[in-house]
Amino acid sequence: MKIPELKSQYVWATIMILCYILPGFVPLGTPFPMSTTTMKIYNMIQALPDDSIVVIGGSGVFAFDLESSAGTIPAIKIMAQKHIKIVNLPLATEAVQLEKYLIDASRIEKKYGGTYEYGVDWIQLPYLAGAPGALVSFLNDIKRTCPTDVYGTPLDQMPLGQRLKDYKDIVLWICPHWDFVTIIQYVTGERKIPSVSFAQSAAYSTYSPYMMTYPDKVFMTNGFLGGAQMEYLVGMKGLGHAVIDGNQVFSAVFLIFVVLGNVTWLANKEKKEDKK
Amino acid sequence: MSATLTYVRINLTRILLIVSAASALATWYFVSPEVDAIFNEINIWNINITTFTLFSGLITISLRYIRGIQQRSSDVWPFQAYALILIVAWVILGQSFGMYSDTYQTAFLSTKITLHIAILGQLIYFYVSGAYRTFRVKTLRTAALALSAVLIIICNAPWIQNTFSGVGEISYWLLNNPLTGGSRAVVITGAIGAIVLGLRTLLGLEKGAMRVTEGE
Repeated sequence: MKIPELKSQYVWATIMILCYILPGFVPLGTPFPMSTTTMKIYNMIQALPDDSIVVIGGSGVFAFDLESSAGTIPAIKIMAQKHIKIVNLPLATEAVQLEKYLIDASRIEKKYGGTYEYGVDWIQLPYLAGAPGALVSFLNDIKRTCPTDVYGTPLDQMPLGQRLKDYKDIVLWICPHWDFVTIIQYVTGERKIPSVSFAQSAAYSTYSPYMMTYPDKVFMTNGFLGGAQMEYLVGMKGLGHAVIDGNQVFSAVFLIFVVLGNVTWLANKEKKEDKK
Repeated sequence: MSATLTYVRINLTRILLIVSAASALATWYFVSPEVDAIFNEINIWNINITTFTLFSGLITISLRYIRGIQQRSSDVWPFQAYALILIVAWVILGQSFGMYSDTYQTAFLSTKITLHIAILGQLIYFYVSGAYRTFRVKTLRTAALALSAVLIIICNAPWIQNTFSGVGEISYWLLNNPLTGGSRAVVITGAIGAIVLGLRTLLGLEKGAMRVTEGE
């Protein structure tokens, strides 16, 4: 029996229905495993001293970095519970918008019913061009490199800004952006500050060797799965949970199409040999 | 360009490169506030120069697009006009409301980001459609390709990891060992290449980097 080749339209329709529309309208709530690294990150943030300063920053493109936000938003929620101060440092033009999105989506500010006040509990710094040189300069002398926040207010006029001197004031660096290597190199490698990345799946496979290079200093979660794990630990359902159903279905659909492709090819190959 | 001017420009660039590189290296080997201060100062220059480059890039691309629209020499001029209108609109929006305002953020998320995410979301269709057609075990090489892809998909599928507890460990082993070896090789090769390129530039062997050939 000759099996006809599937048209691309059929493949596209199957993916759209099974991976996008179905999980979107009917959340499957499929289970997912917990990873030890995600647990370590959760415990590490919980163990940070109250009132300490964490920097969220790096370089990347918003649409890619959205995958990182699934894990970063619950992390911000944990930090807000512990009154940990947050300083956002964008090292790419679109990073400013992503970092605003992270703060808005985590609902920690007073205007969203949270407890965080701008200038006291968190600060958004302006885009700093010229990374990684700019990052090194920031770590060595924060106010000299970045004298004002994103609105142009001098750091000295804000309670949190007054506390910022150099890298010694930072207890943890969270990178919600693609370029985690620069952070590992200059923040963790040179200055021994632990760093966390809620990495995109593609970035995870590229950067995971650094977790071996700097054990218990560099931590990474894996894509939306890592985000869903963080959300589970915090007790919320966000972007990670929303995407995990599609992710689960996709992995099954992918395997089915690979098998189907091989079956089609084998069947048609036999048919051709019979004709000969 | 006169030979004298070329000579000055090349050597001035070389001196700047040597001073910058030396100041960065010095911070590694000397614990001194003065050395750190010099390096920081050069870094601040770097930030300012890069910011200026962004500004000059905006002007350069605008001039290029205006020329393209005026001459209508290629089919892309309508896109250049569209891009130019968007550039102006975003600059006005940013200047009027501020880059960190809710208005700018809403506009940014509703247009650029939504479109970008949609484009990224399309990749999955091409990926599966491509997998259906290319991961066919015709030869040993295609078998290796197909098996590698299937193995990674299986090991990273949450529903498989959840059902078979050992699969997650296999996945991490694959990432931490075979992949680490390959990644390290790439990183080390790149680093050695960067050192050699730096030395060649400082020694004047990489003439193109200092645009020395322009004067010839």
